[in-house]
This record gives sequence, C-alpha cells and structure tokens, in this order.
Amino acid sequence: MKWKRIAGACMAGCVLGMPLVADAYEGDWKRGHVYYRMVCTSCHVVKAGGSIGPNARTQAEWAAYMQANKHAKGKDSVSYYVSKPYRESIASTNKAAAKFADVPEQELFEDLKAFVSRSAKDGDAPTGCR
Amino acid sequence: MKETRQRGRVLGLRVSGIMIMVAGLVASAMATDHSGYKELQQPFKSGPEVTRACLVCHKDAAKQVMKTKHWTWQSLNPQTGQMLGKKTLVNNFCIGVASNYPYCTSCHVGYGWKDKNFDFSKAENVDCLACHDTTGTYRKPSGLAGHPVYVEMEFPPGSGEIMHPVDLRKVAQRVGFPSRYNCGACHFYGGRGDGVKHGDLDTSLEAPDFELDVHMDAIGLDFSCTKCHAGTGHQVHGSRYSPVTKRGEGSVTRERTDRQSPATCDTCHGIYPHSAKTMTNTKPLPGFTQQGMAAMLNRHGEKIACQTCHIPAMARGGVATKMMWDWSAAGKMGPDGKPMVKKDDKGHTIYDSNKGAFELGENVVPEYRWFNGEVRYTLLGDRIEKRAGHVAINHFGGGQKDGRSRIWPVKVFRGVQPYDPVNKTLVIPHTYGEDAESYAVSFNWERAVAAGMADVGAPFSGKVEFIKTEMIWPLNHMVAPKARALQCQDCHDRNGSLAQGRLKNVEGLKKGPLFRLGK
Repeated sequence: MKWKRIAGACMAGCVLGMPLVADAYEGDWKRGHVYYRMVCTSCHVVKAGGSIGPNARTQAEWAAYMQANKHAKGKDSVSYYVSKPYRESIASTNKAAAKFADVPEQELFEDLKAFVSRSAKDGDAPTGCR
Repeated sequence: MKETRQRGRVLGLRVSGIMIMVAGLVASAMATDHSGYKELQQPFKSGPEVTRACLVCHKDAAKQVMKTKHWTWQSLNPQTGQMLGKKTLVNNFCIGVASNYPYCTSCHVGYGWKDKNFDFSKAENVDCLACHDTTGTYRKPSGLAGHPVYVEMEFPPGSGEIMHPVDLRKVAQRVGFPSRYNCGACHFYGGRGDGVKHGDLDTSLEAPDFELDVHMDAIGLDFSCTKCHAGTGHQVHGSRYSPVTKRGEGSVTRERTDRQSPATCDTCHGIYPHSAKTMTNTKPLPGFTQQGMAAMLNRHGEKIACQTCHIPAMARGGVATKMMWDWSAAGKMGPDGKPMVKKDDKGHTIYDSNKGAFELGENVVPEYRWFNGEVRYTLLGDRIEKRAGHVAINHFGGGQKDGRSRIWPVKVFRGVQPYDPVNKTLVIPHTYGEDAESYAVSFNWERAVAAGMADVGAPFSGKVEFIKTEMIWPLNHMVAPKARALQCQDCHDRNGSLAQGRLKNVEGLKKGPLFRLGK
C-alpha cells in the first residue's frame, strides 16, 4: 500500500503541477520568430499582398492586437493561425508548421506574443519581416 | 494481499523511475539555469557589477576572454607578421576606430572603451552578457562605449525615441550558450548597419530557411555560429585575417576540443564530397554517369573552393549589402541648410551628409579570386600611390600554380576615402561625436583627420585628398541548397570556354575551348 501511495503522490504531483507549469510558461521569442517568419510572413506574402514587419507596430499596439485576437479585421482569429488544426492543414507545404505540429497552441501563441513585443517598433530589438 | 502489495510496489517503482527520469531530463535541460544563484539576485546597476558576480564562479573566464581577438581587437598574422585587428586596421567603411571609440566599441566585449586609455587589464570590464544573453533584450547602443542603457534615455539624442534600461538581473539569470542572435548583434551589423559589411552575414540569418542557408536553417540543422566557429577557453576560431583555404589543410574533426581551426566544409563533408549518391537528383551531362559527374566535381574541388559553387550570390535574405561608399561626397546640406539623408525607393540610405554616398545591392553575384589563405593589408603607415585603379586595402595571396590556392567567391567593396597626399598614407578621420573636431560637427576634413591621426599618434601633413580603394571579403555563409548551386554553364560555354562565364576575370585561367558540353 505504501508504494501505491508513493506512486499516487508522484502522479498527483505531476498532474497538479501541470497547470502551474502552463501558467508559468514564458514565451520563447526565438521560436516565435521562426513561426512568424516561416508561417505568418510566408502566407502573408502569397495571400495578403505583402508582409507586416513586427517593427510596423508598437508594443502596445501588438499587445492590443493579440489581446483582441482578431485577424483580418475580425474575419477570423489570430489564435486560429497557431492552432493545431491550422498547422495540420498546411503541414504538407510548410515545414515550420510541420516541425511545430505538436507544440501546444497556448505556448505557440505566447511565443508569438514574446517575439512581436521584443521586435516591435519600440521593442528591445526592432525587427523587419526577416 | 501480498501479490497486490508486490504489484503496487512494482508500479510504484516504475512510476518513481519515470518521475526520476523526467526529473533528470528537466534537470539536464535546466543545467545552465542561473536564476537561483544568490550572486545574481541583486539589482545590478551596471554591466561591470554583473561581471563581478559572474566571476565569483567562472573564475578564469575574464582571463580567457582577455586573450581573445574579441577583447584585444588585435591579431598577429603569423604568415605575414602584420599586426591586424580592428584596433589597428584602416578599412573603407567607417575607416578606423581611433578617435571614434565610443561608437565602434559598442561591439567590444567590454565596458567603457571610450578613448585610447581604456584599461584592458581590468576583469570587470569584460562583458559576459553580450555573448551569453538569451533574453534578446540586451543591447549596447552605438555611442555608449560598450555599455547598455542603464537609465531611460532618448536615443539617438534628439530623435524623440526613448530607450529603456535593460533589466540586468533578468539577463544575468538567463545566460546561456551564444546563439546566432548574440554573434549577429555585432557581426550582422558590421559597417554600422544590417548587412552592410560582409554580404553573407545579416539579420536574415537569425531565423533563416533552408533556401537561405542549409546549415543554419532554423527548422532544420539550425546551426549556431559556434557549431563551426567552436573553440575552448572563449577562443572563437575562424578568422578572415588568416583563414584556412586549402582543401584538407587544417581541417579537423568536429567536436574536437584541442583544435585550432574552425570547421571548414571538408571537416564534415570530407575532401571528396560528391558521390553518385549525392548526385541522385542531378541530370548528368551527356556521356557521363552520375559517378563520373561526381568524380569530375571532386576534381574541381582541387582548384575551386566549395563556396564558389554553393554560394551563388550574396545578400540573398532580403537585406541589402553595401557595395560602395564615397566619403568624398559627404558634406552636402539639404535645402534647409542642415545635414540630410536620402533614401532610395526601397528605403536604403544612399546619401548621408555626415558619411557620403552609398550603393547597395541584393542577390549580388560575387567576384572570384585565387586565394591561398594569405592576407596582406595596407596599414596606416604604408605608402600608397594614387593611380587610375583602386588601392587595395587588403590583398589575397595566391595564384593558379602555387599548389595551395583555390578560386574563392568574394565581395569586393569599393570606396573613396580620405588620404594624406603628402605623406602618401591612408588616414583615420574623427568622424563621430559631438565635439568640434568631429566631421559630423565641423564638416571639415582637415580638422577631422588631424584629430584622428593625433589620437593614434600617426603623422599627418595637414592636407587631405580622396583616393579610390577596394577591400575583399571572402564569402562563407548563405550556403544554398545543392539544387541552387552553380551549374556547368554558369562558368563554361558549350565548348568549355571560361571566357564569358563567372570566372572570366580570374587571372591565369585558360579561357579558350576546353571540351564540348554536349547538345
């Protein structure tokens, strides 16, 4: 019984700890950069007539945009474009979407937020669409 | 009951084992986590304070850094005996460091090099964070002598743009191995701008795709700079001052810790990299098998550097590189009588009153030169003669018949820069700064050159003229996928002649018909 309790405690700790880990997740701006460039920008260039550099907006503007979660003037959501279904839908033609297929959506969303904040017009390292 | 207890015990062991493994993996991933170290909990007010904290544990680190070119900005070329390095050299971009220290030294791995009296022996002056920051928030603006921003400030002065102080504690707690972003913070911006200097190094390599660079492809091999430019004791190998150029020469096994050279192409690919297997998707020339094609390309490797075929163009990532800088055009004012900046339709600066006129290019086809690894520079005191062509700032040694040379792709950067027509030497002008002698304030070349030459203790006649110069930069990065490598017809015509192809200007090559390239 003792071993059961130990195992149970371990598993409970693991499960209970998961939300804490998720809550503590801080966006990986480098991964956000890769996704921004290889998924967002590559699609924008082909389907939206051009790219949007992170340095085209201020940190506050990006924060508001990501918070509102409205893409293409509200036609759909930003979060859809980091969702697993979206990544799966383009994985055959987009290597970055394929590579990040298993990344949790919320993490990828945070990655993007971290990258555009860092790379905004008034961010720590203003970056174009490269 | 006993059986149940036994099963429970086994289950417990298994789960515990898994948890230990998970914990181990987490611990392994967090091995370089510095966030818990008590030395790094303080509210750091300056970079040197952080360095002092780093040195509590990394006791030898500063001593090691102080032996590197990144610290001394000097490098003795053993082949030529010339003392090279940024501290010494004159180039045809920003010209020279002397008298312009606070601007140039934003890329020094140190703090406070604001004039020629900088203390190179002080350990706390070493900047650990420039190379080890992982937050992407640590920046050292030009003009602050290698310091980051400590208090909120308007930068550049008068721009209305506010720079916020860097959170040194956060950066110090999240140090890690150097990434492309760390190295690129300086090496992508050489010549005071993104992609300006090298042609094969710019911010497009921060998150490149396979098309841009097969090795650094961010979703593929994802090489960091240190994958090839590896070393020990903070020495970073791979210098353009004395590079390895000959196939197999100095080539070393990757991951060896005692090596003295960077990884070259043949370090990983071997000296005969082409085979029937690698040629699978290549249509062989008429009369050739794929094995035969591979053998032919391997023979080419005896005289042609890998880079020549596999770096078909420079500045391929959407960032233009500077190709010409004419300092003699500086000093023209705008309609309002104030210094002006002109841009082309792509937003590239093509004129700046403080600096002169520029030409830039993207997807630029390189020039090609024989190169045996020997580089000789025109140094500050060397006599030069004004002539019709360009004076070489640096000269690549080599030729067709020395048995050591191969043909390399290079960026040739051409400029017009001030020189002393009486002493017949290159000069270093004081071009940056708010003081009266700075060219950016006085727009007077004689005063600017007098200040620069006085700082370095070199003679100056008082007269200034301009001279055409060129500087050669070997290309090593932006390696394209093999499908984009040069093809036979890029260099040869149907009779094999090299007279019209990419190598038409390479000295010593037989330009006449060599063979027939089939139908």
